Amino acid sequence: MSERFPSEPFSIEISNLVKHYHHQNVLDHLQLTIKRGDLCVLVGDNGAGKTTLLRILASLIRPDQGEIRLINNTENENSSYRGKIGYLGHQSMFYNDLTAAENLRHYAELYQIPNAQEAAEASIQSVELTGFKDNLVRTFSRGMQQRLSIARALLHHPSILLFDEPYTGLDQKAANFLDAQLRNLHQPDKIILVAAHRPQRMLSFATHIAWLQKGKISHHIPIDQISDFPDLEDYLRGTV
Amino acid sequence: MNPFNRYLKTIWQIFKKDIRVEWRGRQGIPVMLVFALLIVFLFNFALQLSPDLQAELAAGLLWVALAFASTLGLNRSIASERENNALDGLLLAPVDRSAIFFGKSLSNFVFTFLVALILLPVFSVFYNQNMLNLRLIFIILLGLGSYTSLGTLLAVLSIQTRARDVLLPVLLFPLALPILIAAVESSRLVLGSHPVSDYQSWLFLLIAGNILFIGVGLLFFETILEE
Repeated sequence: MSERFPSEPFSIEISNLVKHYHHQNVLDHLQLTIKRGDLCVLVGDNGAGKTTLLRILASLIRPDQGEIRLINNTENENSSYRGKIGYLGHQSMFYNDLTAAENLRHYAELYQIPNAQEAAEASIQSVELTGFKDNLVRTFSRGMQQRLSIARALLHHPSILLFDEPYTGLDQKAANFLDAQLRNLHQPDKIILVAAHRPQRMLSFATHIAWLQKGKISHHIPIDQISDFPDLEDYLRGTV
Repeated sequence: MNPFNRYLKTIWQIFKKDIRVEWRGRQGIPVMLVFALLIVFLFNFALQLSPDLQAELAAGLLWVALAFASTLGLNRSIASERENNALDGLLLAPVDRSAIFFGKSLSNFVFTFLVALILLPVFSVFYNQNMLNLRLIFIILLGLGSYTSLGTLLAVLSIQTRARDVLLPVLLFPLALPILIAAVESSRLVLGSHPVSDYQSWLFLLIAGNILFIGVGLLFFETILEE
């Protein structure tokens, strides 16, 4: 990562984002700004639009209206923007017939990482899967696939991390591992947005919380101010 | 690395990955080959053609076998991207997305062409025709080039629909009809030892098909990918 700090985005600014699916407004003129160094938890009911928002931010889908701007940077219409994104979706994005090392090497090559093989192996080591690097991904459990997905999302040292329901399907040990990873990733030069249906376990280390309701961000506040918003507090209590 | 080399490298990386997935899974080429051979055997035994008719129909049957086998291969190729949403992984990469189209098209083309090369000697035996003919191979290259580039585009389009398993052939066969007609006619004339002037208009149509479908892929692949 030679082009680190000065060119890294200071903040990600989402303005007037609109997305319809089947004549239904999933995102309705949504506004949100997340600053560098923030670890923001995005909460909301099922179907509130959390995944849609993250997929738009990852440039996997195009919004109907609105724009996403990286302050100190360009818009998300080019490939250099995608190089700054580390996205963890609902599915692993791996090829079942390739080994863990082959999958990560493939991604390392696509991201033009020098010494792709070494980078892939280091990444596998970072998620404690070295002993399984030559195993086919189809033999991996859900927890192992999720760990490998984290390695994939972080392979190119992205400055913007978008994690969509990363705890889904993880057992306690794997969830603790993910907690530790998120704590480590929370650095002053990174923007982290994590969509979580049950956000309780993240409230101890997240900096901000954003509540997505009816296609809009109704609250976006520092974690330590939750108690000032009884409706949000009630909502969070209901997610336990 | 300059952008053009980078672009070519991305195509190569996707092609290489597809070869590796195919080598491990062996779910594309063997299935295509078995299907194509079944068509050869079935038509041969069902129709009991006279030698004259065999010569007339061989080109048509060859392209029926190739078109159906190729469609199976296209479905399989895109299924590997659908599994675990691997296509999203490609879309997230900071590369020109049209390079993904070319990489996928290249692997689909190479797999189908390999099947064609194995099929030709079998056809030669069953239909008493010398199918190992360089002119015929050139026509197969042109025909499969446009068929697989159109097919790759439509396969990616169909992946995003609920009727994905049936949509590809429904869209592909009518749109590829001019290409298939040109391929059948030019192959028939080549096998009949006609001079090039007799089938050059069909060749131009095949070349135009390649330019058109590659151009369409280059221009619209990214739009198709983003829902």
